[in-house]
Amino acid sequence: MSENIFEVENLSLHYLGRFGDKTHAVTDVSFNMKQGEILGIAGESGCGKSTLVSGLMGMCIPPLYPTSGDVRVRGESLMNRTVEDIRSNVLAQKVSMIPQGAFNALNPVRKIKDIAADVIAAHQKPGSSMKASEIYERLRSRFDLFGMDTDRVLNSFPIQLTAGERQRSVIGISTLLNPQMVIADEPTSALDVSTQKEVIKMIFDLLDKGIFSTMIFITHELPLLYHVADNIAIMYAGEIVEKGTAEQVVKDPRHPYTKALMGAMLSSEKSQRTRKPVAIEGAPPSLAKKIVGCRFAERCSFARPECKKNTQNIRMVGDREVRCEYAQ
Amino acid sequence: MVKLLKNLLKSPMFVIGVSIFLITLAIAFLGPVFYDVDTNARDIVAGPYAPSSAEHILGTDHLGRDYMSLLISGLRSSLYVGFVAGIIATTLGVFIGLFGGFRGGWVDEVLNMGTNLFIVIPSFVILVLISSAVKDGRSLTLIGLIIGLTTWSWSARAVRAQASSLRSRDHIALARINGASSFTIVIKHVLPYLLSYVFMVFIMQISSGILSEASISMIGLGPLDSTSLGIILNQAKDNGALSDGIWIAFLPATLIITLTVFALYLVNTSMEGVFNPRLRK
Repeated sequence: MSENIFEVENLSLHYLGRFGDKTHAVTDVSFNMKQGEILGIAGESGCGKSTLVSGLMGMCIPPLYPTSGDVRVRGESLMNRTVEDIRSNVLAQKVSMIPQGAFNALNPVRKIKDIAADVIAAHQKPGSSMKASEIYERLRSRFDLFGMDTDRVLNSFPIQLTAGERQRSVIGISTLLNPQMVIADEPTSALDVSTQKEVIKMIFDLLDKGIFSTMIFITHELPLLYHVADNIAIMYAGEIVEKGTAEQVVKDPRHPYTKALMGAMLSSEKSQRTRKPVAIEGAPPSLAKKIVGCRFAERCSFARPECKKNTQNIRMVGDREVRCEYAQ
Repeated sequence: MVKLLKNLLKSPMFVIGVSIFLITLAIAFLGPVFYDVDTNARDIVAGPYAPSSAEHILGTDHLGRDYMSLLISGLRSSLYVGFVAGIIATTLGVFIGLFGGFRGGWVDEVLNMGTNLFIVIPSFVILVLISSAVKDGRSLTLIGLIIGLTTWSWSARAVRAQASSLRSRDHIALARINGASSFTIVIKHVLPYLLSYVFMVFIMQISSGILSEASISMIGLGPLDSTSLGIILNQAKDNGALSDGIWIAFLPATLIITLTVFALYLVNTSMEGVFNPRLRK
C-alpha cells in the first residue's frame, strides 16, 4: 500500500468579517490521497470549493483564516506558515493550481513566454540565474509536449490565442515546475465541448508523462468527473457529504444530497432521455450563522425530525464515506 | 509603442497639444540661444515700459528690463516648477495609491483616510500657509516641492481605485499561486496596466503645478530666487499695469500660461481617447 502523498485532516476555514463575525466556509474536511490518485470534488456554486482550494494550498490570505485542522504534502504541514514561506517553498513546486477562465488568468499585456518565465524566475535558488535563452529553451521543450505551435504561442499575447491554446498555456505554466500535487479548479468551464476534450486529454498526457501524478479536479459537472476521477467527494455547505469511488458516487449515490444532485442532472443517454431533471428545492443554509443539525435537512426529501437537531458526522457505508446517519 | 504613437498621431487634438507644448519647451530652453536672456532679471536695459524695438521685441517692463527676456526666463521657471511638482505628486500618489490599493486591509484604510484628509483640506490654503511661513530661501525647487506635496492626493485616489480593482483579477491570482512575490506582481502585473494612466496623471499634475505656481506667485508668495510667469503677473498687478491699460505687461504671460496648460489638457484628453477603449473611435 503506497503512502499518502496528500493528507487533509479536519480542515475548517472561516472568513473574518469587519465586525469580527465569522463565516465558516469550510468545515471538518478530511481526506487522504495516494500517489497517482485523481480526486474529483463536486458541489453547487457557493458550497466552499474555491475556499477549500485556498486552504489546500496553504494560501489563507486575510480575511480567510484556518479555524482548525491540517494539510500535509508528503508529511510536511502547510498550516501556520507565512504567505512568503508558502510562496517560495510550496506553490508551483509542491502544490500547484490550474485556475478556471484562462482568458482572465493570463495577463493581457504580457506575452505567454514572459508569464511563464516569471514562474521559473520566482523559484530560482539564490545565486543561480538562468539566461533568458536558457529559460526560453526550457519553456519550448515543455510547451512542445502540448502539441501546439510552440514558438507562436510563446511569443503571443493571450488575446492572439484561441480559447484552447490559452487554457493549455495556463496548464503549461501551472505545471512548469513538475508539482507533486495539482489542483484543477474547474479547468474546463467556459470551454466548448471539443476544447474541453482537448484540455482533458492534455491533462492526462501530462499525467502519463509523469509531469505530475496526483490531482484534485474540481467541477460542478459530475458526468465529467465520472470519466476523469478515481474518487469523488461531494461538497455541500462547506462539508464533504459523500466520498467514494467515481462509480459508487455517480452510479449509486447514497447521501440524499448526492441523489438529489444526480436527479437534477441532464443526461444524454438514450435510456435517461425521458427522465425529467428535478431541481433541488430551497437554498443552502447561511454559513455565517451557527447551524444545528444536518445542513441539508431543510431541503432533504428523506429528512426526519431529528435530522434538524443532530449534527451529522461522516460514517462508513460499505467502503464509502457518507455524512448521514440514515443513509443505507 | 510605435503603434501606440501612430494611433496618437492620428488624433488632431494630440498633434495640436504636443505641438504647442513643444513650442513652449523650445522657447524656454532654446530661446536663450537666439535671444539675449537675462536669467537673473536684474539688467535694466531701457526706460520703464519702453515700446517694442528691434533690440527689445516686446519692449520693457516697469523697471526697464527686457520683457521678452523676462518671459523666456519666466516660462522656463514655470515649466521647472510644473515638472518638479508633477514628478513629486505623481510619485507620491502612485506609491501611496498602489501600496494601499494592492495591499488592502488596515494599511489601505489608513492610507485612504490620509488621502481623503488631504483632499478635503484645500491644497491651495496649505500652499499659502507653508509659502508664507518660509520667508527666506523660497526657491523654485521649494515651491515645486510644496506644490507636489500638497497635490498628490487626487493621483493617489485614482491609482488606488485602479490597483484595488486589479488586485482581485484572475491573472494576479495566477501569478500569486505560481509563487510570484508581491513586489514582482506589482512591478510586472499591476504597474504595466497603470502606466498609461500614470502618464496621464503626470501630465495633469504638471499643468496643475504650473497653475498653482502662477496663483501663489500672483499673490506675492512665489519664489524669491528667479522670475516666473506668476511673478511677472504679480509685478504687473502691483504696478498698476491692469488699471493703466498696459496690456503688454500681463497679456503675454497670461497667454503663455493658458496655452501651456491648454496644450497639456489636449494631450491628456487625446491620450485618454486612445487608451480608453470605450472612448476609442
